[in-house]
Amino acid sequence: MAEQPRIGVDEWVAQAEERRARTVAARLGDLLDRVPPALRLLAIALPLALYPVFVDSEYLMQVGIDTLIFVLLALGLNVAVGWVGLLDLGFVAFFGLGAYLYTALASEYAGRHWDAQFAIPLIAVVVGVTGFVLGLTSKRLLGDYLAIVTLFFLQIYLVILINSSFTRGPNGISSVLPLEFFGKQVTSLDGYFYVSLVVFVVVVAVLYLINQSRTGRAWRALREDELAAELMTMPVDRLKLMAFAFGAGVAGVAGAIFAPIQGAVFPANFDIVLLITVYAMVVLGGAGSLLGVTVGAVLINASLEALRSPEDASWLFYGVLVVTLLVMLRPWWRGPAVIAATIAFGVVAHEAAGQVRASLVGGTSFGEARIDHLVDTWVLLPENVVTPDGLPTGALGRLAYIGFIAAVLGLTLVRSSLWRTVGLVPVLYLAACVWENLLVAQPAVARFVLIGAMLVALMAFRPQGLFGKQRVEIV
Amino acid sequence: MDWDKLVQLLVNGLTLGSVYALVALGFSMVYGILKLLNLAHGDVLMVGAFIGWGILGWLGGAQDPSVAVWLLIGLMVLGAMVGCGFLGVAIERFAYRPLRRAPRIAPLISALGVSFFLQNSVLLLFGANFRSYETFDLVDVEVGIHWGPLNVWAIRIMVVVAAVAMMLGLWLLVTRTRLGKAMRATAFDREAAAMMGIDVDRVIVKTFFIGSALAGAAGVLVGLVFGQINHFMGFNYGLKGFTAAVVGGIGSIPGAMFGGLFIGLAEALSVGYIEDFTRGRLGSAFKDLVVFLILVLFMLLRPQGIFGRPEVKKV
Amino acid sequence: MAVEATPLLEVRDISLSFGGLRCLNELDLVVNEGEIVSVIGPNGAGKTTLFNVITGVYPPDEGEILLEGRSVLGVDPHQIARRGVARTFQTLRLFLNMTVKENVMAAAYGHTKAGVLRSVLRTPGMRREEREIEGLAEERLGFFGQRLVGYRWNQPAYSLSYANRRRLEIARATAANPQLLLLDEPAAGMNPVETHEMTELIGRLREEGGYTILVIEHDMHVVEGISDRVVALDHGVKIAEGTFEQVATDPRVVEAYLGTSAAERT
Repeated sequence: MAEQPRIGVDEWVAQAEERRARTVAARLGDLLDRVPPALRLLAIALPLALYPVFVDSEYLMQVGIDTLIFVLLALGLNVAVGWVGLLDLGFVAFFGLGAYLYTALASEYAGRHWDAQFAIPLIAVVVGVTGFVLGLTSKRLLGDYLAIVTLFFLQIYLVILINSSFTRGPNGISSVLPLEFFGKQVTSLDGYFYVSLVVFVVVVAVLYLINQSRTGRAWRALREDELAAELMTMPVDRLKLMAFAFGAGVAGVAGAIFAPIQGAVFPANFDIVLLITVYAMVVLGGAGSLLGVTVGAVLINASLEALRSPEDASWLFYGVLVVTLLVMLRPWWRGPAVIAATIAFGVVAHEAAGQVRASLVGGTSFGEARIDHLVDTWVLLPENVVTPDGLPTGALGRLAYIGFIAAVLGLTLVRSSLWRTVGLVPVLYLAACVWENLLVAQPAVARFVLIGAMLVALMAFRPQGLFGKQRVEIV
Repeated sequence: MDWDKLVQLLVNGLTLGSVYALVALGFSMVYGILKLLNLAHGDVLMVGAFIGWGILGWLGGAQDPSVAVWLLIGLMVLGAMVGCGFLGVAIERFAYRPLRRAPRIAPLISALGVSFFLQNSVLLLFGANFRSYETFDLVDVEVGIHWGPLNVWAIRIMVVVAAVAMMLGLWLLVTRTRLGKAMRATAFDREAAAMMGIDVDRVIVKTFFIGSALAGAAGVLVGLVFGQINHFMGFNYGLKGFTAAVVGGIGSIPGAMFGGLFIGLAEALSVGYIEDFTRGRLGSAFKDLVVFLILVLFMLLRPQGIFGRPEVKKV
Repeated sequence: MAVEATPLLEVRDISLSFGGLRCLNELDLVVNEGEIVSVIGPNGAGKTTLFNVITGVYPPDEGEILLEGRSVLGVDPHQIARRGVARTFQTLRLFLNMTVKENVMAAAYGHTKAGVLRSVLRTPGMRREEREIEGLAEERLGFFGQRLVGYRWNQPAYSLSYANRRRLEIARATAANPQLLLLDEPAAGMNPVETHEMTELIGRLREEGGYTILVIEHDMHVVEGISDRVVALDHGVKIAEGTFEQVATDPRVVEAYLGTSAAERT
């Protein structure tokens, strides 16, 4: 007689765990865990080191460097937000502080040129201490209040930058001098790439080592239950301050290499848009996971770049749509079915609209990718829905946009899985229409709209992001 | 002592404070019920401002309105209130409700996403240029009270009156109606309220509607007084509104009102006197610094705000 | 046992009010080293509040708390923990997303000292300390027999059964190397078998671990089985103290639990 599983008894639970551990994904994860971390880091750093060898275009080099800087920012934010669970909304102020401090130490404006091997560590310490001081407001403060104080701090920082004469206001300072290590200046893009890569490797290593120590353990405990951690001998306030300081220090270092790369610093570099972008990176990649936030930063930065150019933007947009459909819809045939149905729906809609009124399909889209030319024969393209600058001319464009958002939200409310899948078809068509008419016309703005929407969707459906661990919370 | 200047600053402070109070109210109400900082609240105000502007344009524009001026303004405010009310309800339903049982920073991050989405959507639809309410065409700048040192434009009077009226209405709602009682009960203890038969979700929805409607109205009022709106204006009002709510005592309605006035006056007086005070070293743009310092001081010395009660942790 | 030896814990005249509610009212309590003292009383008597005051979570309005003769008033909770007081919680406060072993290792923070610099440089001293912490965790978990060893070490704490969670919380508390253990309803929610096991466990904690133990409990079997002394509270006031027999038959205690008519019957 087979023994019934005794649910709730530990052995059964443990066996269930073992069964779950035998899935492919889990096995892969275990394999990865067994590779020593130094090797893992090398496995990532080596290919990256070869990047300048294979890439010639200056634009792509710049993108590579920017990505590394974003990765540093994501790593820094991860300390406070991912490991300790503190909402630091002033984070980019530390980035800016690092940049301006470097300018103070190495620019024609300041009249001096410190060597980077002195400047960078000094900046790391100074910005770290500033983070420490700002973190003092987190003493006994609920995480919510901390968010306001840090956000306000960012605002104040920007106000000071813009209105102080010694920071040259909104025009910034453009005479920042290049990095100089032991007398040798870094002047080429390749050089800066390698500098950024080295900084990345060092920062990741340091953060990893801290996380795997009693400090990291205490941070995790504090995130789980602050009161219990305090009563179990951990000095919670001091630990929070340390997290703040470390995150700030990393941001400061990022700023210190950002300034010479750009050759200039402007207040506009360090605004809310950057803040939310970095948050999106951390959340997408997986708050709390070093690998996760690195990947998140790369993905988001790559997407931002791709979404900037009319030739590439639509590939990314439709690509992500199709991939999401294929991955998210179960069983396997639903994804292709929906795509096929949407195409059919679109063909019919296009024909019908054209018959009703020719002007409904006579317009032109701003998208210049090959896929746009294909899609444009299929979506509704009313004439004159946007100005040559890409702004909606009147109510039609705006109402269509709002209607589209409402349709998407409404779709999430549909209970029956079948009707939800059916409803996907017109909504997807509408998405393509809105994209071709409105979004692709202003790609710089559209990408931020998408990031905002993605952030909300992630938090609602998959708060642990791509690589984070699903957390159990008991409220 | 330049009395004219002082009076003018006080009037400005009062106007600004009324707006901040409206923002703080919506903010405080939501925090009281959900213990959630609605970081997107300022952007709801911004959407309200744009709705008002849209209605203004639809009804002929400031130059040639098709209805009486005061009716026009009333419609703008009403339209913004209704529109923003529904916007707030949507935000709650889709961005916050899925996260009711999540750790506290989750809805805050979601709020960041909402804020970003709203700002950039408006940027997408309306462009980066400032849009003008052209209030001077609507109501001539001479119209108002001119009595002694007092030179108050009618629009400013209207803003204060409207804000006070709404606050009064809210006060009556919360203290005299069943909904108000349900709101207070839910704010006090959500589970107990649910067990007493209160439909907690409906109460939350209504709270968001009211709070967001107030923000929408504030948006139109801001547009009327200051004339210019753009997609980024919500950030600043949100921040000052939060500060006002915290200073007054978060979760407390008289606190939000008082906090708003306090912050508004502090800001106006800073604008007027900061240069004198610091002998020209700091310009009036540093008014934000003054407000920030007030916030930090309260956080450190009296985190429960003026009207709040210190929160006791039950272990 | 010399009567003049300083008690490990001395609570003198503690009073605490929340708003208008007086939770603790001029309460005195003494715990000598090596004792097991039980605190009993109906719900709302102030037992957990007493624990909170001792561990520094709430400052008392009046009174004094002495640990080994030194005052702990105004001392941060984590400092009090380092001075040798560790506790468990009525409503279980584990670090759920951390593994079983990590939960216990975390509590060793207070008596270890590898700082950030040494951690980054991975000095031999830091590595040795980590090994010691890990060894300590395994040892403390081993106190519970086979229940929390082996593959259990790396399981997330949320996957444990209720009884194991209670045991883990005790193991975690002992990892802080305390002299005084405060156990808040350690047998709550356990079936008779587990309760019996817990009773033996508390005895072993004293015998093998050398801890002085202050226990809040509702289950009188447990109280009877473990206590040197029993203290009964009601409405923040001590209403009886003595051996289990003395307290259990004290009319005031009976009245507090069962009402006046029941008291009149004894």
